[in-house]
Amino acid sequence: MRQRLLARASLRHLGSHPWLTALSLLGIALGVAVVVSIDLANTSAMRAFERSTDTVAGRATHQFVGGPAGLPESVYRDLRLLPGAPVSAPVVEGHVRAKGGDQRTLTLLGVDPFAESPFRSYVPGSGGGVDLGAFLTEPGAVILTQRTARALGVKAGDPLEVGVEGVEKRLRVVALLQPGDEGSARAMESLVLTDISTAQEVLGQVGRLSRIDLKLPDGEAGEARLESLRPLLPEGAEVVRPRARGNAVEQMTRAFRTNLTALSLLALVVGTFLIYNTMTFSVVQRREQLGRLRAVGITRRELFSLVLGEAAVLGVVGTVAGLLLGVLMGRGLVELVTRTLNDLYLVVSVRGLTLEPFTLMKGVLLGLGATLAAALLPAWEAARSAPAVTLRRSTLEDVSRHRAPRLALLGLLVLALGVGLLSLPTPELLPAYGGLFSVLLGAALLVPWLTAKLAGMAAGPLGRPFGLVGRMAARGVTSNLSRTAVALAALMVAVATTVGVGLMVTSFRGTVADWLESSLQADVYVSPPSLVTRRGGATFVPELAEHLRATPGVASSSTLRTVQVRVEGVPTDVRAVDFGGTPVRPYRFKEGDPERTWKELEAPDAVLVSEPFAFHRRVGVGGTVELATDKGPRRFRVVGVYFDYGSDTGTLLMLRDTYLRHFDDPRVSGVALYAAPGQDVDALVARVRERAGNAQALDIRSNRALREMSLEVFDRTFTITHVLRLLAVGVAFIGVLSALMALQLERARELAVLRATGLTPRQLWSLVSLQTGLLGLLAGLFALPLGVGLAYVLVHVINQRSFGWTLRLLVSTDVLLQALVLALSAAALAGLYPSWKMSRANPALALREE
Amino acid sequence: MRGRGLVIGVAVVLVGLAAGAAYVTRDASPPWEHEPALTVADALGGKDGGAEGYTRAFEPRELHFPEDHGPHPGFRTEWWYWTGNLSTADGRDFGYQLTLFRSALASEEKERASAWGTRQVYMGHLALSDIGGGRFHATERFSRGALGLAGSRAEPFRVWLEDWSAEATGDGALPMRLTARGEGMSLSLVLEAGKPPVLQGDRGLSQKGPEPGNASYYYSLTRMPTRGQVTVEGRAYEVTGQSWMDREWSTSALGEDLVGWDWFSLQLSDGSELMYYQLRRRDGTADTFSAGTLVPALGEPVRLSREDVRLEVLATWKSPRSGTTYPARWRLAVPSRGLTLDIRPALADQELPVSVRYWEGSARLSGTHAGQPVRGRGYVELTGYGDAPQRER
Repeated sequence: MRQRLLARASLRHLGSHPWLTALSLLGIALGVAVVVSIDLANTSAMRAFERSTDTVAGRATHQFVGGPAGLPESVYRDLRLLPGAPVSAPVVEGHVRAKGGDQRTLTLLGVDPFAESPFRSYVPGSGGGVDLGAFLTEPGAVILTQRTARALGVKAGDPLEVGVEGVEKRLRVVALLQPGDEGSARAMESLVLTDISTAQEVLGQVGRLSRIDLKLPDGEAGEARLESLRPLLPEGAEVVRPRARGNAVEQMTRAFRTNLTALSLLALVVGTFLIYNTMTFSVVQRREQLGRLRAVGITRRELFSLVLGEAAVLGVVGTVAGLLLGVLMGRGLVELVTRTLNDLYLVVSVRGLTLEPFTLMKGVLLGLGATLAAALLPAWEAARSAPAVTLRRSTLEDVSRHRAPRLALLGLLVLALGVGLLSLPTPELLPAYGGLFSVLLGAALLVPWLTAKLAGMAAGPLGRPFGLVGRMAARGVTSNLSRTAVALAALMVAVATTVGVGLMVTSFRGTVADWLESSLQADVYVSPPSLVTRRGGATFVPELAEHLRATPGVASSSTLRTVQVRVEGVPTDVRAVDFGGTPVRPYRFKEGDPERTWKELEAPDAVLVSEPFAFHRRVGVGGTVELATDKGPRRFRVVGVYFDYGSDTGTLLMLRDTYLRHFDDPRVSGVALYAAPGQDVDALVARVRERAGNAQALDIRSNRALREMSLEVFDRTFTITHVLRLLAVGVAFIGVLSALMALQLERARELAVLRATGLTPRQLWSLVSLQTGLLGLLAGLFALPLGVGLAYVLVHVINQRSFGWTLRLLVSTDVLLQALVLALSAAALAGLYPSWKMSRANPALALREE
Repeated sequence: MRGRGLVIGVAVVLVGLAAGAAYVTRDASPPWEHEPALTVADALGGKDGGAEGYTRAFEPRELHFPEDHGPHPGFRTEWWYWTGNLSTADGRDFGYQLTLFRSALASEEKERASAWGTRQVYMGHLALSDIGGGRFHATERFSRGALGLAGSRAEPFRVWLEDWSAEATGDGALPMRLTARGEGMSLSLVLEAGKPPVLQGDRGLSQKGPEPGNASYYYSLTRMPTRGQVTVEGRAYEVTGQSWMDREWSTSALGEDLVGWDWFSLQLSDGSELMYYQLRRRDGTADTFSAGTLVPALGEPVRLSREDVRLEVLATWKSPRSGTTYPARWRLAVPSRGLTLDIRPALADQELPVSVRYWEGSARLSGTHAGQPVRGRGYVELTGYGDAPQRER
C-alpha cells in the first residue's frame, strides 16, 4: 500500500514534466552511448586485427621469421628434408589493394596447400570445392570467399586487378570458398589465398618466405625440438610465437585507444552532472510533497529509496537507450577508428561490429552507477525533509548559500589533489587521468561560491541598461543557487572540455606544422603508395629510384628506406637515410650539438632514435638498442634523439651505409629531390613524372603538396577526437537546456507573482533571457581558464605520457571565442521555451497551484 | 495524461533504437551451404580426365634401363611401388609398402619466376605391417616436385618426397636403398638385384580399356633380396626378405564402368612369381582387360588373360574404421599352368586410412604348382570398395 502510494507519487511527478524527464533520459543515454560506441569501435578494430592474425597464423605454435626481407626459401627445404621433420608450412604474405569493388586492402596469403592442413583448415587440400590443379599451376590464380568476391564484384573465373606498391598485377579468381561458419567467414573477409609461387611473384619476393609456421609439442619436448632446429636458421632469423605479434599491436595502439576511452568518459562526466541536476530539481520541486509524506508517516529511509528508485528507473531506461544508441554510433565510429589506425599503425580492415558482453556490461555499470551516484545527494536531501509543509524554497537556498564557501574549500582541496596527482613523477597514464578528473571536479565545486560572488557583482552593471529587470535577473542567479550552480557547473565542464581538447589539437597541429616545415626541405618527394599512410614501407621497382635521382634539373637528392625491424624484440620502423650530396639535414635534435651528432652517426654502430622511441623504450643518448639484423642480433649506440611527430610508437634512424652493412636489402622506399638553382619546381615534378613512366604508380609530390597532404592525414587522424568533442558538447548542451529550463519552469509561481504585480510579458521574457544569458556568460568565463588548464594537462602530461611527444601549447583565441559563443547560445536557447511559456501563462492559474 | 505521452515516446524511441542497432549488427551473409569437397588426392587422381597435351601410351615401346627407372614427366601419372615381406632372424614377420606417386596437374610447364611454380606433385604412402605384433601403421604425405622438396631422376637413380627416398647405393639403379619414416615407424632397407625386369602386358604396354591410349607402360622387378632395419614403436628390428617393385606410367583413367581393382603380387617358394590384377565392373564382374603375368623360376614370363585366371573370394572382412567390406581370402587358380593358391591376409586390418582409403597388405599363400605343394608370401591391393572416389590404375 505504502509502496503503491510512493510509486504513484513518483510516476506522477516524472510524468508531469515530460520534457525534462525526456531530456535527462537523453543525457544519460548520450553519455552511455558515447562510452559504449568508443569501446565498441576499439574492440571491433582490435578483434578484427586478432582475427586476421589468427587466420593467417593458424594453429602454429612457433614461427621462423627473418629480417626485413624475410627468410630464404632454402631454409624450408632444409627443414622438410630433415629426418623426422617437424610439422611445418611456408608462408608468403603481403598486402595488396584491390582495384575494383570497394577497393579494400587485401591480405595476400601465399601457402603450400600440401603443407597447410595442420595449420589453416580453410586452405584447399583439406577440402573446399577447389580446382587444385589450376590453383597450383596457373600463375596468378587466387581463391576468395564468396563474401569477399561479392564485395570486390568478381565471380569465379574473373580477373582480379590489384595494386602492389603501385604496380598493377592481374590475378584470376579460380574458385570461391564457402567457409563453414560465420567466424571463419569473417576472419577471411579480406583474405586472398594463393599458391606460394604466385604470392612470391606478385609480391616481388621470389626466393623468399615471409615466415615458416611450425607446430611443436608443448613443454620440454617442444623446446628441445626447437633447439635442435635452431642451427637451420640463417643469421638474422628468429623463432617467435605467433601470439607475440598480436601483443605488439596491442601495445602499439594502447595509448591511442586509452585516450579515446578517456575522452568518451568526459562525455559521461558531463552526463552525470545532468542527472544530478535532474534529481536535485525533482527533489527541490517536491519539497512540500515530501514534507507531507513525512507527515503521514513515511520514513526517511523510504524517501531515500523513493528518490534513488526514481533515479534507477531513469538510469535503466536511459542506459538501455544509451546501449542501443551506442551500437548505432559505434557503427559510424568504427570506420573512423579503423581509418585512423590505418593511417597511423597497421593494415586492418574492420567489416563489422564485435559486440562483446564486456562492453555492454561496462555501459550498464557506468550508466546505472553514474545515475545512482548522482542521485545520492538529492536522495539524502529528500530524506532530510522535515515532517512539515513549511519547508520553503528560501530555506533551501539559504542552506545552499551557506554551503557554497564550504564547497569551494572542498573544491580547492580536490583541485590540489588533482594537481598533486598530475605532478607525480610517473610515466603511468592512470594518475594523470585521475588528476584530470579531480581538476574538473574541484573546479565544479568552486562554481557555487564563484557564482554567488560574480552574480552579485553583475547586478550593478546589469541594472544600468536593463533597470529593475536586469538587477532581478542577477539576483535570481544567486537566490536560486541550488540549481543554477549545478547547471553552471555542467555547462562549464562541458565547455572547458571542448576548449581543452580544441586547444590540444591546435597545439598539436601547430607543432606538427612547424616540424613539417623544418623536416620537409627538399623540393620534390617521390614514393610508391603505401598502405599505412604514415609509415610507407613500399619500395621502388629496381633501378627506378636511381633513374629518378638522375633527372635533369636535380641538384642533389637523398633516399630513404623505411623498414620494419625488431628492436629489442618489438617490430619498429627503421629509416635508413642516404643524404647523397645534400648538405641539408632535415632533422632537429632534442639535445646536443647537431654537427657533432651527425659526425658520430657515421660510426658503423650508431643510430638516432625519435623522441617517442626514447620515451617508450627509456633509452637516451649514450644508451644502446639491439636490432635483429640480417647478420644476427647487433647492438647499436644511440647518438642522438630527434623530434618526430610522424609515429607515436617511435622510429629509429641510421645512415644507409650502416643499414647496408647489416641488412641485405638494397631497396629504396622514398626519394627526395632538391632542385637546381633556378629550376621551376612544377616543371621538375612534371619531368620526374614523365621519367617515372608507367611501370609503377608513384606518389610524386612537391614540397608544398606533401606538407598539405601530411596535415590532411593529421587532421584525419583527429577526426574522431573532434567527433568526441562534439558529442561532449551535445551532452552539455542538453544538460544546460534541461537545467535552465527546469530552473525557469520551477519558478513559475514566482514569475506568476511578478506578472500579477504588473510585469509585462515582454519584461518577463527579458528577465528570463537575461538570467539564462548571464548563466551562459558565467559558464563561459569559468570554462576558459579551466579549459586552458585542461589543454595544458592534455598537452604536457597526457600526450607526453602517452606518446612521449614534446608539444608546444598554443592558446588559440578562435577556440576560446567559440567556447564563449557556445555557452551563450546554449543558454539563450534554453531560455526561449520557459519565457515563451511563462509569458503566455495565465498568472492567476499559475498562482492557484498551491 | 502527459505521463502516458512520455512513456509512449520513450517506448517508440527505444524500439526505433533497437531496430537500428539490430540493423547495423545484422548478419548480412546468406545461409551456409555445403559444397562437395575435393581433396588433394582427388586432384592427383586425374579425376578431370582431360588427357590433352600429355604423352600417351599407344603402342609398345622398347624400355631402356636405367633411363626408364627415372621419371616420364610427359605422362600424367607415374608411380614407384615397393612392397615386400620381411622377417627377423627369430621369425618375427613384417610387411612393408612404400609408394611414391608423381602426378602432373597440367600438361604444360609454365615459365615461372618462383621456384615453387611447378605442375608436378608427389604423393607418398608408407605402410608397415607388424605381423608379429598384430599392428598396422600407415601414413601419407604430399609435396610439390619443386625446390628439391620432392622429385625423381634416373641417373644416379633417386626418387624422393622430403625425407622419404629411394636411391641407388652404387653406379646402377640397383642395389637401392629405401628410407622412410612415419608416426611410430621407420624403415631403412637395401634392395638387391634379383630377377631382371618383367615387362607386363604386351612388351610393357598394359592395356586398361578398349580405347587406344587407355594403357600404361608397366614393368616389375618381381624378386629383390632385401635386408635392413625396420623400427616399430621405438624398437628396431634387423630384417631380411624379398621385395617387389612395380613401375607404371600413363595418361589414362579407369573406364566408365569400372569401380576398382584387386591386385596380387605373389612370390612362391618354388622361385616363381605371379602378378594379376582384376578390374572390377560396377556389377561386380571382372572386366575383360584384367590381366597378369606368371614368372617361372627359370625361363620367359607368361602373359595371363582374364580367361586364364579363376579368382574366387572365400571370406570378407569389414573395416571397423570405415565400415567398408573387403574380400579377405581368395582361391586363385591358373588351370593352364597347374597352379592353385589359397591366399590369406597376414593381418586382417591393413586398410590405409589415407585421403582415398584402400586396403593393401601382406598376404600368405599355400597351394600347388605343377603338382608340387608351394607356399609363399605376397601383397594384395584392393581399391574401390569404399564410397570414396578411386584412383586410376
